[in-house]
Amino acid sequence: MEVELRLEPGRQELKIVILAGEETEELRTLARELEGLALGPVPVWLGEERHQLPQSAFLRFYTDGKGVSAQTSTVTYTVRLRLYELEERLDPRKFVRISNSEIVNLDRVTAVDLSLAGTIRMTLDGQAAAYVSRRYVKKIKETLHLGRRGAQ
Amino acid sequence: MMGNKKQWLIRIFIGGLLGALLAPVVVYFFGSFGVDRPEASQAVGSLWLEGIPDIVAPAMVRAFGSAGLAALVQSLLAGVFGAVAALATLPFADDGKELIVHSLAHFAATALSFSALLWVCRWVDEPRFILLWAGLLALLYGLVWLGRWIGWYGEVVQLRTLLGLDPGPSPLKWKETLPYLPFILLVCDLLPLVLAWVDRTFVVDVPVFSGLLYPYLLLPVVGFLSGLSLGKRQGVCWLYPLACALCYLPMVYLLFNSSALFHCFMVAVPALMGNVLGWLYRRAVPKKR
Repeated sequence: MEVELRLEPGRQELKIVILAGEETEELRTLARELEGLALGPVPVWLGEERHQLPQSAFLRFYTDGKGVSAQTSTVTYTVRLRLYELEERLDPRKFVRISNSEIVNLDRVTAVDLSLAGTIRMTLDGQAAAYVSRRYVKKIKETLHLGRRGAQ
Repeated sequence: MMGNKKQWLIRIFIGGLLGALLAPVVVYFFGSFGVDRPEASQAVGSLWLEGIPDIVAPAMVRAFGSAGLAALVQSLLAGVFGAVAALATLPFADDGKELIVHSLAHFAATALSFSALLWVCRWVDEPRFILLWAGLLALLYGLVWLGRWIGWYGEVVQLRTLLGLDPGPSPLKWKETLPYLPFILLVCDLLPLVLAWVDRTFVVDVPVFSGLLYPYLLLPVVGFLSGLSLGKRQGVCWLYPLACALCYLPMVYLLFNSSALFHCFMVAVPALMGNVLGWLYRRAVPKKR
């Protein structure tokens, strides 16, 4: 397969065009997967200061009753998007919702533990703790089965 | 939510119906069992020793004045018990604190409805038998909880593997506890036998070694130290104190009698304390480095 990169100065959004002789199932799968790639930076706020951070910088996104927060390994930012809107923007191979109020970066999970009460705790970068709702375990496994780890 | 509510209602209905239908069958079955074997019937605290086996206990018929009313009350109580039992899996849909609270509430409701069924329907004739059955119910709950927990643990191991992490310890750290088993067997089974032999052979009146020094000094100290060692290496291993108590149990009946059952706690409690202390040490030490 030939891959061609065409740079357009000033272009904000990435556009991918696939050239093919005929439409096949493989082609449709490829198009679907490319559509699913959300690689753009995430706009976050620290006070009134706006930042654009790459997705890989985030450990997790969570709601704390007041709004949505985004945690990196050093700073917690405010996000002016709802959790479901974030879910649509984030890379589905890396970010997964683990409860009604939290999305984590699976690349940053360093430990998964189970308490006697059945609570599943994820540790991110060895410091931040996130609690997995068992209702979401199946979805997390499906995300991981997509070959996310196999691609590494 | 509405779908869940509908599902709960269907379960309550089916459970209630099954309970109401099965109660007379159970009474008939155990009634005929009691008539054939009165000694077995007495062993479970039954009053079904009188007359022909029926779908209602004779003592209940006497208490309610008529067989029809007794059967109706029995069906209602069995229906309530069946409906509550049918909701047994619902608490497991929750997490953490909610799971514990809902499980305890469900256990309380089940134990209460079952006790009411046993007592009002005269399935037992003494309150202590209600306690016995409630204890068996608690044991069943414990087993179900353990089964569920092992299932969840399997999922966590799967997640760890898919994430490329270490699969982690075995469920309840049973594999990590195993290396300590030969030591427990030596201390809890072989040592008391040797000490009992020493007492019988060399000590004339009082079994100083097996009856005093061993249970009141050696057993707690060794239990504590071994628990500490395990805790420092593997963290909290809940099965270890249990294994200590179970290994010592045969010695209670072999060397003493049921009055010495508390000896099991003399090893299990220090083992648990040592284990937790070892775990705390393990947590504290890396911070100092």
